[in-house]
Amino acid sequence: MRLFAFKSVEAQAGEISDPIMRLRFLKVCAAAYPEPMPVKRNKGVAWFCFALLLAGLLAPGYQASDGGNTPAPRAPRLSSQGAATDLAKVWLVDKSNGFESYSNGLRIDDRYEVANETRVFYPVYHRAHVDVTEPEWRSEPAGIVYHTTESDQAVFDAENNANLKRIGRDVLNFIRDRRCYHFMIDRFGQVYRVVRESDVAFHAGNSIWGDDQVYYVNLNASFLGIAFETQTLRVEDLPSANAAQIHSAHVLTEMLRSKYRIAAENCVTHAQVSVNPDNMRIGYHTDWAGNFPFLDLGLKDNYAIPPPSIYAFGFTYDPIFVHATGVRLWEGLVLADDQTRSHALAAGATVAQYRTGLRREYKEILKTLKEAESVKEAPHASS
Amino acid sequence: MPVHDKRSAIGLDIGTSRVCRAQIAGEEFQYETQLNAFVSLPYSKITENILEKERVPHSVLGSEIIVHGNESDRFADLLNVETRRTMSKGLLNSSEPASLDMLRKIIDSLLTNSKERYKLCFTVPAAPLGAEENLTYHEATLKRVLSDMGYHVSSINEGLAVIYSELESSNYTGIGISCGGGLCNVCVAYLSVPVLSFSVPRAGDYIDMSAASITGERANRVRMTKEDSFHFNGFFADKLQQALSVYYDEMIQSLVHALKQAFANPRNLPKQNRPLPIVISGGTALPAGFLARFEKILLEAELPIPTADIRLAADPLHTSARGALVAALSEA
Repeated sequence: MRLFAFKSVEAQAGEISDPIMRLRFLKVCAAAYPEPMPVKRNKGVAWFCFALLLAGLLAPGYQASDGGNTPAPRAPRLSSQGAATDLAKVWLVDKSNGFESYSNGLRIDDRYEVANETRVFYPVYHRAHVDVTEPEWRSEPAGIVYHTTESDQAVFDAENNANLKRIGRDVLNFIRDRRCYHFMIDRFGQVYRVVRESDVAFHAGNSIWGDDQVYYVNLNASFLGIAFETQTLRVEDLPSANAAQIHSAHVLTEMLRSKYRIAAENCVTHAQVSVNPDNMRIGYHTDWAGNFPFLDLGLKDNYAIPPPSIYAFGFTYDPIFVHATGVRLWEGLVLADDQTRSHALAAGATVAQYRTGLRREYKEILKTLKEAESVKEAPHASS
Repeated sequence: MPVHDKRSAIGLDIGTSRVCRAQIAGEEFQYETQLNAFVSLPYSKITENILEKERVPHSVLGSEIIVHGNESDRFADLLNVETRRTMSKGLLNSSEPASLDMLRKIIDSLLTNSKERYKLCFTVPAAPLGAEENLTYHEATLKRVLSDMGYHVSSINEGLAVIYSELESSNYTGIGISCGGGLCNVCVAYLSVPVLSFSVPRAGDYIDMSAASITGERANRVRMTKEDSFHFNGFFADKLQQALSVYYDEMIQSLVHALKQAFANPRNLPKQNRPLPIVISGGTALPAGFLARFEKILLEAELPIPTADIRLAADPLHTSARGALVAALSEA
């Protein structure tokens, strides 16, 4: 151990205000006298060190300042979605033997989990200025689309247990093979993870949605898909899902919203987002077109939100769609029509002219997207 | 090589979790940090184009795109995978074949200035207490990598770098502790001369992995949660926070136990009775309440030497890099 246990060297060092100079002085002392020195020789060593310093070994000092005040260099960042504010705190409690349990009571069966294409980037288009060539690129799920499997429905009672379980398994295998959805909720309310959350599921096909900042076109990558094992009913205000399924959908939605900070208005049904570019009409798929239990899932009634496909991209709807939906969705349709009219007026164009411009923009987006990767949609039954 | 222009000196803290560069700009210390990690993405032209456009550091390797540095964290979280690490427990990761290539790229992304005539000092860990671990390969390999880039290279023990950065007021006498990702590095120095140095293999990664195994989360996500929101005091309803608290305690206990063990050897005891200041740095020391917990455990352990002024470094994430820069500047 080399030890300077004497005060003279220390005292001399203490007189050097520049920290680098002082360190150099001490290092020179250490090199000049590697063993602990007797007290009476301290002064000589100190002066020897100073002599070495003065001999020109040292460069000019500097004034060191607090590095904490230095702004960090700007790093490149990909954008992320705006944060929702009404989120519950939900976390993973346990994961074992193919099951996950969460702090809000959600339980997910992972045994049917399957990989698909990885979700790396998807484009979004700013509401203020839709730039087809320069979209913003995002990576995390921005919303949820609710579907129905439209599969066979056995009578829901104890005598039919075996049948109900068999059908549920068949449906799961079917949607697993085709990577249709990220999650499925069976007749008993059990939540199954199908396509991994990090991957794309072929659940939405040609589709459009928008929040207060951006529009999403073709939602396979940007939105997660949750399917209820059920068939759509056309009776007003009567959800075509049972209480167990609705409870599971509630806790699953709560978990996904908490995890990805998903805004409530981005939790929508397939009927709200589905479009047909061939005839430029909305509602190509009509699952959950009018009786989705938004309120029971802790969401606002999103049927009242005007579909951006109509007012931002020039889509229309036909009587068949109106007939297939409930009065709750009509409210959104009416609002979207109003917006289209007022935007056309502001642009000094007729509604038809204005719509033609919007459609041109949509076709350009679609062309760009299809060039990047073909739009995929599995042939599930919800049509 | 004497450093005649203070701007031509660089301090590089090459840690298990992060690589940090320190340099003088004007009269200020400036820092830039990159995560010492990388992640593979499936190759596609669109992904490559976007990464190019967004200037995300990456390289194409066959059917994969490797994103390295700071963005690797985000992509790992996105893809639900663990990041791959170039280093493990303070040394080059022998089980990661791409470790050296990736570390070279990460370092290169931090060192953009002209390299000729630059003096560069980088940090190296100490051997674990009581072990004769061979650190030569790690140090010599990094020296070669940096020399090949054109720098005049030297190295400094990480704990000593903490002392050079923080203990100027005590004439570089005291105990410097760097609590990093792979190791806690400890150095005791008298008037700038290191007299004892060792490392403890329980640090940030140990906490992350242990908490991850309990909660079922990925270690990467645990680390992000830890860095974002963990604090010592208060009741934890969250299982992850509880687990982090438990393993943090264990890490501090190990560190204090090692200090006590080191000073149990009379040869390591200082020949003076003056209380030694202790400075703690590193990302693992950042959570609120860490210092108080360390002090409490240290007090209970009754070290055989008097200590004084136990404190956190002024800028814990940059302390080692700053100390390495001070060393580079002081080398004549």
